[in-house]
Amino acid sequence: MKKIYLILLVLIGMSISCTKNFEDFNTDKKRPVEVPGGYLFANAQVALGNHTATPNVNLNILKLIAQYWTETTYTDEANYDLANRAIMANQFLIYYRNVLNDLEDAIQSIAAEAAVGDEAIAVQNNRIYIIDLVEVYVYQTLVDYFGNIPYTQALDINNINPGYDDALTIYKDLLARLGADVAGLNDGYGSFGTNDQYFQGDVAMWKKFGNTLKVRIAINLADVDNTLAKTTIEEAYAGAFAPGEICQIVYPGGTQSNPMFQEMIQSGRHDFVPANTIVDIMNTLEDPRRAFYFTMAGDTAYIGGPYGEDCPFSQFSHVADAIQGEKYPMVILDYTELAFYLAEAAERNYSVGGTAEFYYNYGIGSSIVHWGGTEADIIAYLSNPAVNYASAAGTWQQKIGTQAWLAFYIRGMEGWNTWRRLDFPAFNLPPAPNSDDGQVPKRFLYPINEQTLNAANYYEAADAIGGDLMSTKLFWDKH
Amino acid sequence: MRKFTLFFVFLLFVGMQAALAQMEVKGTVTDAKDGTPLPGVSIVVKGTLTGTVTDINGKFVLTVPAGYNELIFSFVGMLTREEKIDGRAVINITLEDDVVGLNEVVVTALGVSREKKSLGYATQEVSGSEINAVKSNNFISNLSGKVSGVQVKGTGNIGGSTNVVIRGYSSATGNNQALFIVDGVPISNDNTNNYGQINGRSGYDYGNAASDINPNDIESVNVLKGAAATALYGQRAANGVVIITTKKGVKTMAKTKSYGVAISSNVTTGFIDKSTFPIYQKNYGAGYGAFYYSETEYPGFEYLYDINGDGQTDYTVPTYEDASMGQKFDPNILVYQWDSYFPESPNYQTATPWVAAENGPEYFMENSLSLTNSVEVVGGGEATAFRLSYTNQYQEGIMPNSKLKKNSFLVNASHDIIKNLTVSASANYVNTQGTGRNSTGYSDNIMSSFRQWMETNVDYKQQQEMYDLTGRNISWNWWSPDDAKNQATPAYWDNPYFQRFENYETDQRDRLIGYAQLDWRITGFLSLMGRASIDTYNELQEERKAQTSASGEFGVNRVDCTSGYSRFQRKFTETNMDIMLKFNKSLGESFNLSALLGTNIRRDRVDQVFASTDGGLIVPDLYALSNSQNQMQAPEELLTEIGVNGVFAQVSLGFKDYLFLDGTIRRDQSSTLPKDNNVYWYPSVSASFLFSQLLDVDWLQLGKLRLGFAQVGNDAPWGSLKDTYTFNGTFTGTSMYSLPNSKANAELKPELSSSLEAGLEMKFFQSRLGFDLAFYKNNTANQIMPVSVSYATGYSSKYVNAGEIQNKGVELTLFGTPVQSGDFKWDIMLNWAKNINEVISLDSGLQNLQISGNLQGGVTINARVGEPYGTIQGSDYVYQDGKRVVKSNGYYLLSPTTDIVLGTIQPDFTAGLNNRFTYKNWALSFLIDWQKGGSIFSVDMWYGLGTGLYPETDYINDLGNPTRDPLTDDETSGGVILEGVVNTGTAEEPIWVENDFRVPGDDYRVFGWARNPNAGFVYDASYIKLREVVLTYSLPEKVMANSAIKGVSFSLVGSNLWIIMKNLPYADPEAGQSSGNVQGWQSGVMPTTRNIGLTVNLQF
Repeated sequence: MKKIYLILLVLIGMSISCTKNFEDFNTDKKRPVEVPGGYLFANAQVALGNHTATPNVNLNILKLIAQYWTETTYTDEANYDLANRAIMANQFLIYYRNVLNDLEDAIQSIAAEAAVGDEAIAVQNNRIYIIDLVEVYVYQTLVDYFGNIPYTQALDINNINPGYDDALTIYKDLLARLGADVAGLNDGYGSFGTNDQYFQGDVAMWKKFGNTLKVRIAINLADVDNTLAKTTIEEAYAGAFAPGEICQIVYPGGTQSNPMFQEMIQSGRHDFVPANTIVDIMNTLEDPRRAFYFTMAGDTAYIGGPYGEDCPFSQFSHVADAIQGEKYPMVILDYTELAFYLAEAAERNYSVGGTAEFYYNYGIGSSIVHWGGTEADIIAYLSNPAVNYASAAGTWQQKIGTQAWLAFYIRGMEGWNTWRRLDFPAFNLPPAPNSDDGQVPKRFLYPINEQTLNAANYYEAADAIGGDLMSTKLFWDKH
Repeated sequence: MRKFTLFFVFLLFVGMQAALAQMEVKGTVTDAKDGTPLPGVSIVVKGTLTGTVTDINGKFVLTVPAGYNELIFSFVGMLTREEKIDGRAVINITLEDDVVGLNEVVVTALGVSREKKSLGYATQEVSGSEINAVKSNNFISNLSGKVSGVQVKGTGNIGGSTNVVIRGYSSATGNNQALFIVDGVPISNDNTNNYGQINGRSGYDYGNAASDINPNDIESVNVLKGAAATALYGQRAANGVVIITTKKGVKTMAKTKSYGVAISSNVTTGFIDKSTFPIYQKNYGAGYGAFYYSETEYPGFEYLYDINGDGQTDYTVPTYEDASMGQKFDPNILVYQWDSYFPESPNYQTATPWVAAENGPEYFMENSLSLTNSVEVVGGGEATAFRLSYTNQYQEGIMPNSKLKKNSFLVNASHDIIKNLTVSASANYVNTQGTGRNSTGYSDNIMSSFRQWMETNVDYKQQQEMYDLTGRNISWNWWSPDDAKNQATPAYWDNPYFQRFENYETDQRDRLIGYAQLDWRITGFLSLMGRASIDTYNELQEERKAQTSASGEFGVNRVDCTSGYSRFQRKFTETNMDIMLKFNKSLGESFNLSALLGTNIRRDRVDQVFASTDGGLIVPDLYALSNSQNQMQAPEELLTEIGVNGVFAQVSLGFKDYLFLDGTIRRDQSSTLPKDNNVYWYPSVSASFLFSQLLDVDWLQLGKLRLGFAQVGNDAPWGSLKDTYTFNGTFTGTSMYSLPNSKANAELKPELSSSLEAGLEMKFFQSRLGFDLAFYKNNTANQIMPVSVSYATGYSSKYVNAGEIQNKGVELTLFGTPVQSGDFKWDIMLNWAKNINEVISLDSGLQNLQISGNLQGGVTINARVGEPYGTIQGSDYVYQDGKRVVKSNGYYLLSPTTDIVLGTIQPDFTAGLNNRFTYKNWALSFLIDWQKGGSIFSVDMWYGLGTGLYPETDYINDLGNPTRDPLTDDETSGGVILEGVVNTGTAEEPIWVENDFRVPGDDYRVFGWARNPNAGFVYDASYIKLREVVLTYSLPEKVMANSAIKGVSFSLVGSNLWIIMKNLPYADPEAGQSSGNVQGWQSGVMPTTRNIGLTVNLQF
C-alpha cells in the first residue's frame, strides 16, 4: 500500500513540477526573434517597390486612375469602384504594416547596435537617416492618396486608435525631416551595403534622393505655401539628381520578379490594355516612346482601349513586352521627374538655374533615353511643333503637364499627381463612374475598416478634409 | 496540492481498514422473457467498485469482500436488480426488460460509467448501429439530426470536412469544434486545410482527422453537451465532447473459451440530386455581351482571324470569355469554335452551327460508388477478452478520377493478471489514401466553372474525346486561335478531363491510436487506473499541376504558375498520461459516496513542412521538388509543442436514490500561457433530483430535475506570447524579414467560460412517451483573440484578452411509442434545439471583428457586438420607404459601406425527426433533418447571374420580349427595368417615383456582381431533408437453427434521398468549404448525391 502511495505522490507531483521546459514548448523554433536591421530595411524597400509596380486590382489601381491603362472585361476599377475590393485597406496595410513598421523596427534594431569608433558610428547614423528618407517618401504617398492620415500617432500598437494629422502639417514636417536627413548623411562612409536594394548603400546617392524628394514635395506646395515651396526647391535642386540618375528597384527574377510580370504573364491573365487617353495623345505627337510603351494592335497601329469601356484584349495595343519582363525595374524617383518639377518651378519664377524650356527639354530627353530612344528621337520629337515648348499649344501647365504625364508612364501616382496639380492632360470619363460627382477621383476614400476600427478619428478626419469623398480635393490641389 | 495529498491519505487509510475475510459467489443470469443466458451483464458488489461481467453463457464468478451482502446486476436495456447474498454461494437470477430506462448507464467524462439518473447535466447517447447504418467515410456526419444541440454540417466534398458545433460558437477566433474521445483517448480532429482553402481561394478539402474512426467499431456515442459534463476534461472540452465507446470482447467463466465472427458488406451508389446542380439557359453562348466583339452582322463573334486558311477573315467565338452573355444561338450561323483549332479534332478548320451544347456540365459528373467490407472477431476466455476488426472502404466520387481508400485495423484486449488487476490495451491503425479529391473554392475549381464561369456552347463530351484522343490540355478556353495552335496555356480554365487526370492530388495518412491501461481494484471500494495513450499520425499531401495548365495560385506563397508540385508533410502526436483513483462506498443506509482523484499529463506536438516548386516544372510530368523552374521558395516550417498538466477531483454524493450531488474541480497548467499566469482552476457543481421516486403515480415513470454550473478555462494559441519575424525570401542576396501581422501579447490570461444549465426529464405511461428538456446559458469571457486594429498601428491585429460571447438555448428531445400492438411497433424521436448566440462585447471600443475578411465577392464573416457570432456583412441596397433606390442610370444605388449586416451563419433552430417501425423481422426507419434559418452568401449566384448562365438572366420582360434583345424606344425593346424607386427631385427635396428606366439585359452588369450589392446574393440557408431511410430484414432465428450462422440481416439504406425544402437555388445550403469558423459562404460547391446502398451482415 505504501508503494501506491509513493507512486501516486510521485505522479501527481510530476504533473505539477514537470513544467520547467514549458517555455521551451512555447518558443518558436523556426522563426527568429531578432534580425539585423538591414534585412528589415531590404524587406521594406522591396515591399514599397512591389506595391509601386503592381497593377493588381486589389492593391494598386493608379495605372488605371492615371489613365495609362484600362481594363478589358472587368471594368469596375477603371470606373472608380473602390468598394468592390479592399484596395484602400490594402494601401494602409502595405504602407503602414509592410513598409513603415519594418522601417521603424529596423531603426530600433540599428540604434541598439553598439557602434564603436567614428566609422561605425557614422555608418550607423547613415543607415538611420536613409531609413528616414524612405519613410518620408512613403508618408508623402499616403498623404497624396488620402489627405489627412495617421502620422504622429501612427505605428504605436499601444494606441489602437491613432488620430489623423493635418496633411499640410505632415508635409511641412516631412520637409523638415528631409532637411535633417540630408544634413546628417555622411557620404564619406558607407551604410547598408548590398542590403540596400535601391542604391547598394551609396550614401551620396541617398543624399541626392533626399534633395530630389524635397523638390517633389515642395512643388505640390506651390499653390498652398509658395514661399516654403520656393525656398525649399531653390535650396535643394542643386543637390538633387543629375541627368541619368535614378532610384529604382531592379528585380533579380525568379522568385523575386517584377509584379507586372507576375500579374500579367505569370498569372496568364489579360486584364489590361493601354488606354486611349495616352495612346491617342502619343499618336498625335508621333511619340518615339510608343514602341517602348505599347505593342501595335494587329501589327498596324497603336490603338488604345476606350477608357473604362469593354475592351476585348485582341483588338487593342498591349503593354510592351519589356515592361512585363521578369526583371524589369520599377522607378521610385528619377531625374526625369525632377526635370519636369524644375520646369514648373521655373514657370513659377523660382530660381532653379535654368528656364522652364530648358528643364522641359531635359525632362523629355531624359525620359526618351530612359525608355530606350536615341538622341535623334529626342531631336526629332522636340522639333515637333506640338511638342516644342515655344510652339506647343496651351498654357505652361498644359505643356509641362502633358509631357510630364507622358514621361511618367506606368508610374500611376506621379501621373495622377501631375493631373491633379496642373489639370492636364484632359482625362476621359469612363461610362459609369462610381465617384460621388461622376468625375475623375481627386483622392482615394479612407479604408472602410477605419470606419469600424478607428471610428472617432476617421469621422474627425473626414470632416477635417471636407468629406471622405472621391471629389474632395487634396489640400494642395487648388485648381 | 497539500490538500490533495491529505485526501489521498484519507482514502488509503479507509481502504486499509477493509477486513480481509471474503467469499466467492457464482451463478447465471438469464433473460426473464425467454430464459436465454445474458452475456455482458455487469455485477457489482453494492457499495464497492468490486465487480465482474457475465460471460457468453451468462455465467459469473465474483469474490465478495467481507461485510458486504448485496449484488447489483445491470445491463443495458434491462432493469437493474439488487440481490442480497445472505450466505448463498450460487445465485441464479433473471433480468427483465427495462421499459422505463431508469437505470441506464452512460459513459461520462474520463470514461467513468455513471447511472444516467444521477447526472446533473445533459448527455445524449446514440448507438453504434444508428451511426453505422449509413456507410459514409466520415461517421461524424451521421450524427446529424440525432442529437439535440449538435450542429453537424458536411461540405459535400469527397472525404471532406464536417463541422461539429455543440451548443453554439463560443470562441471568437479559436476552435469551436467538439472534442472527440475514443475509449478515454482524445482523438485529433484537426483540419489541415490551409488558409487559402478555408477562405475559398483554391485548394482541396482534406477533411477532419476524426473521420479515421471506423464506424463499425463503435458501440455507442455519447454526447456531453455542457461544461458541467465536460469540466473534468479541462480546457479542451469547452466546446462539448463526443465520447465514443468501441465494441469489446467478453470474458467467459470457468475454463471455456468463446468466440464470434461477424462479417458485414455494403455497396452504395450515389446520384446527383438535380436540385443541387445548375440549370442553364439555352439561348445564348460565349461572351459578356453580344455587342462589341466585332462591328459585323454578328457582333458577339470576333472577326479577326483566318481559321480555314482561305485568306478570308472568319467568325470566331470569343473563346476567352468564360461567360454566356454573348451571341444568341442560331443553328443557321456557322462559326469557328475551339474545336476548329486542333488538327486532331473532327471539326478542324470547320465552322459549326451556333447552338447550345448537347452535353453540358451534367455530362461530366459521374455516379459515386462505395464498397465497405468489415470482418470482426470477438472472443474471450476466463481471464481474457479481445476483439479484432478490419474494415476496408473504397469510394469513388462524382468527379472523374476521385478515389478514397481506407483500411482500418483495431485490436483491443484485456487480461486479468491476477484477480484484482486487469491490463487492457488497444491499438487502432488506420491508413487513408485519397486520390483526386475535388478542388474547392473560387479558382481552379471545375465546379466554380460550372456554376460561375462557363460557355453554354461548350460540349463536355467533345472535351472528353479531345483529351482521350490527345492526352493534351485541349481546353475550350483560349485567348486566341493562335494561342490554341501554339499550345500555349488556356486563358482561365483547363480541359476539365485534363485537370482531373493530370492535375490530381494524392494524400495519405498513417495513423496509430492506442492505449495501455492498468486497473487495480485495491479493495472493495477503492480502485486505481493508470493509462498511457497516444494518437499519432503522419500525413502527406501532394499536389500537382501539369505543364500547359491554365495559370493559377499554387504552392508556398500561392504564386501564379502554369505547372508545379507541392508537398505538405505533417506529423502529429498527442500523448496523455492519466492516473485516476476511484472510490465508491455506501455511507449508512441512505448515502452513497463516490469520489475520484486524478492527474492528466498531455503533450501535443505538430511538426510540419510545406514545400513547392517555384515558377513551374522543368521536365514535364516529373513531380519532384528538384524539378523547379526557379530556385524554390523557402519551405514553410512549423513546429509547435503544447504541454498541459492537470489535476482533478470529483465527489458524487447520492441520497436514497433520488438526490444526487456532484462536484468537480480541475487545475490546469498550460505551456502556452505566460509563466506567471499559466495556472488556472475551474469548478463545477451539479445536482439531480428524481422527484418521481417520491411520487407514487402510475402514469409517471421518471421525473428528474437537474441543475448544473461549471466554469472551464482555456489557454492561448501556441506561440502567441512573443513576436517572431517572418522570412520573406531573399532579394539579390539579402534575406528579407518582416514583423508579424499580429502583435503578440506576453500578458495573456486564460479564457473563462461559465455555464449554467437546467433540465427536466420525464417519462410517462410505461415510457410510451417522454421528453428531455434542457436550458443552458454559456458565457465565454476573456477571449484570447487577435483583434483587428487600425493598420496605421503597423499591425493588422493584436492578441488581447477581451470580449465575451454568450450562447443560451433550449434543447428538447421528445420520444414515444405511438403504436405498439402485437408484432408491430412505431417509435418516434424528435430532437429540437434553438441556440441564441450573441457577441456581448469585444475589446474596448471595438464593435466588430472580422473572422474572414478575404472572401471572394467582398463579403466578410464577423463577430459583431450585439449580433450573433458569424454575421455575413457586405454591401446592401439603399432603401427608401422599404423600396430599393435606383440611380438615374437605371441601376441600383449601393450602400457606401460594406459592413452592413446581411445575415448570419446561425440557424434559428435545428431539428431531427426519427421514425422507426418494426414488424416481426422487419424494421424501417427514416430521419428527417431540419434547419430553419441561417444565411449563406452565394458566390456562385453572384458571378453566375452576371455571366448569364442561369435562366434568371434570360426571360421574357414586361413588354413580352426576351430580356437580352437590344434596347429600343418602342414596344420591341429588350432590357430590364429594375424594381425600385428613383429620385426625380433634388437631393434636398427628393421626389420618389417608381423606376421606369430600362437597362440592357444583354450585359453582364445587370444581374450579377458588377452593379448589384452583396445583399442580392444572400440566401436563406433553411432546409428540410429526408436524411436517412433504412429498411432492415433479419432472418428468423429458426431458419438458421442448425447452422453455424447465428444471425443474418439485410439492410437497404438510403441517405440524402430528398431535399424536401430549401431556398438556395441550384445548390445544397449545407455545402461549403471546410470545417471551422468561416461558414456561410459558398463558391463552386459540389452537388449533393442521393445515395442508395445494400448491406449484408452475417454473424457466426
